[in-house]
Amino acid sequence: MNRVFPVLVWSGIAAGGAAAFGVLALSRGESVNAAWLLTAALCSYAVGYRFYSRFLADTVFGLDDRRATPAERHNNGRDFVPTNKWVLYGHHFAAIAGAGPLVGPVLAAQFGFLPGTLWLVIGVVLGGAVQDFVILFCSLRRDGKSLGQMAQEEVNPAAGATAMLAVLFIMIILLAVLALIVVNALRASPWGLFTLACTVPIALLMGWWMKRWRPGRVGEASAAGALLLLGALVAGGWVAGQPHLAPLFTHSATTLTWMMVAYGFIASVLPVWMLLCPRDYLSTFLKITTILVLAFAILVILPPLKMPALTPFATLGEGPVFAGKLFPFAFITIACGAISGFHSLVASGTTPKMIARESDARMIGYGGMLMESFVGVMAMIAACTLDPGVYFAMNTTPAALAQASQALGQAGFVVTPETMQALAARMGEATLVARSGGAPSLAVGMAQIFASATGALAGGGRTLDALWYHFAIMFEALFILTTIDTGTRVGRFMLQEIVGHVWPKFGETSWYPSVIASSACIVAGWGYFLYQGVVDPLGGINSLWPLFGISNQLLAAVALCVGTTILIKMGRQRFAWVTLAPLAWLVTVTMTAGWQKVFSSDPRLGFLAHAASLAGSTDPHAGRLIFNDRLNTFVALLFMLVVAVLIVTSVREWWLVVTRRKAAVVHEAPFVETGYATGD
Amino acid sequence: MRRGTEGDEGRGKRDEATPFPTRLARVLRRIVGAPDYAAYVEHCRLAGHAPKLSEREYVAEFFEAKGKGVRCC
Repeated sequence: MNRVFPVLVWSGIAAGGAAAFGVLALSRGESVNAAWLLTAALCSYAVGYRFYSRFLADTVFGLDDRRATPAERHNNGRDFVPTNKWVLYGHHFAAIAGAGPLVGPVLAAQFGFLPGTLWLVIGVVLGGAVQDFVILFCSLRRDGKSLGQMAQEEVNPAAGATAMLAVLFIMIILLAVLALIVVNALRASPWGLFTLACTVPIALLMGWWMKRWRPGRVGEASAAGALLLLGALVAGGWVAGQPHLAPLFTHSATTLTWMMVAYGFIASVLPVWMLLCPRDYLSTFLKITTILVLAFAILVILPPLKMPALTPFATLGEGPVFAGKLFPFAFITIACGAISGFHSLVASGTTPKMIARESDARMIGYGGMLMESFVGVMAMIAACTLDPGVYFAMNTTPAALAQASQALGQAGFVVTPETMQALAARMGEATLVARSGGAPSLAVGMAQIFASATGALAGGGRTLDALWYHFAIMFEALFILTTIDTGTRVGRFMLQEIVGHVWPKFGETSWYPSVIASSACIVAGWGYFLYQGVVDPLGGINSLWPLFGISNQLLAAVALCVGTTILIKMGRQRFAWVTLAPLAWLVTVTMTAGWQKVFSSDPRLGFLAHAASLAGSTDPHAGRLIFNDRLNTFVALLFMLVVAVLIVTSVREWWLVVTRRKAAVVHEAPFVETGYATGD
Repeated sequence: MRRGTEGDEGRGKRDEATPFPTRLARVLRRIVGAPDYAAYVEHCRLAGHAPKLSEREYVAEFFEAKGKGVRCC
């Protein structure tokens, strides 16, 4: 009986998931409830975690609780600290989850809800969670070493240098894309800009509180900061209604770009406790709370999905949000939530230094990524609860909308100007048309879900749409700015380290001329791409988001190369398929997408075709647009080349080891038996 | 002689001697990556040596290290 019961339970879960997928796949022309999407995702996660992650932990990696972890061996009460697995799970999740799993699914909703959801669920179980888990495991066995260090030691020094350069380039594109999302969300939005501007003095106050007034009292300072933030949110509505105040916070995208660039530079050169740390605490609290509330609200109202399972743009490749067909672009548009190379930097950063037992890595590495995928599924639900006409009107530039108007009309995705104006008025905005970037449409979706839930719980009273909309905008913008703060600073450290090899003085992270020069270089890098995106008549998302997706997925390919190399050197080559399969898929997807972005003959898709279409144009900006297209071409080809080099290097290493022409030397820390009690 | 983890001895896992609000605050601090000087002092006591850092030094060093961490997209 004891053995039959679990079999029945797990069979039931698997059957439930399969049935939910069946409903999602077979429903055509009728509204589907979000409950089916949630059931399909949760059942898949449960089965994946119970069976596949256990197989990885026990059979492939051979996690051993008798082995002391770096946290135990190097315990210093500061960065190396054995930590309860549930606490570390929360810490790890807070570090990996950002704007990516929220924005990617919203953009991919242009293909319908089905492709993105399938990729989120299948991709995470077989790819993303595996990548996070394998890198966490490898770093755990190597005293918490970084991805670059592991690539250098386990593959070869050239691979380490290549990985480091790849991370730097990816960081620049990533920061530009994230900043573009904020600029598009705050353009001509005095309420949003006022609220976000208030976060700067609030963070400075918190920093002074935590560092100078009451050292280390993060809880008190964060509580005060959160109250002030809510006050700023309410005050923002009042400011937006004042004819003499609103213009002070109403700016064009170009002006906002310069503001973002100035902010990024200042945040990078200021002491970390002053702005970066307090903002990080504020955004972490807000992120965890909002995600929990969103999950609760979705479960309370179980909204119907208005977007169809598949839209015509999946096969036409002429989507107004971004160009390109479902394959390969759905798989690079959703990176975070399915598989994200950036996670390998977190999984080889602070987390491995805090794991108390090796077996905890399963829940933290694999389970943490499943949770991020769930956030992506919630974002997909929020986007697909919007009327498709509203969704496309919000996420499309006027130029792209005009090009896609016929296809939109045939699919029935139309919306009247009056409807859009009424929606904008409800959300407290002047307009919601052409607010591309994903954040505003996600905010509208979240606001409607929150408003319905509060309305349902309050018995149908006021629903406060505008307040919820701006809360959602603030929530997204706040942690995007946190990523910009930390990303610019980490990029600065990397640049200082690289230049420090030839000019040692420049490598001193406390030498102010070096701090200013390296910060200016990094900010200029992402600021240039941001500006290019802002002035792009097709909307920068069309060119920058695919570049970001390609670069992020290529970093995942780097991580999986390192993981595969280590598995082979450990003598586990018969299990190397666990990393080789997602690696092969990612390389296929990203190389195809990169090739199409560069060489497609469609001017909306291919950079070179777009540049050719502008040749001889009388447009005064044509020269700059052509230059940008060529620069994007160079960046895409550079990413592809970097990864091709790393793959060739890795394959050579695998061949040498497998054919015994080279000794399989792993650089694991020596086995030390744990002093902790095992098995509890 | 095996011993429990530090969590078993008062951090992270349930410790009935510590009031619930204090335990909850410790858990939240760890999740958001906030400094916990009391835990550091406790670590030094268990390790059998005096704390090497004052509270101000500990907090300053903690924030500095936090600034080198990566936040994902």
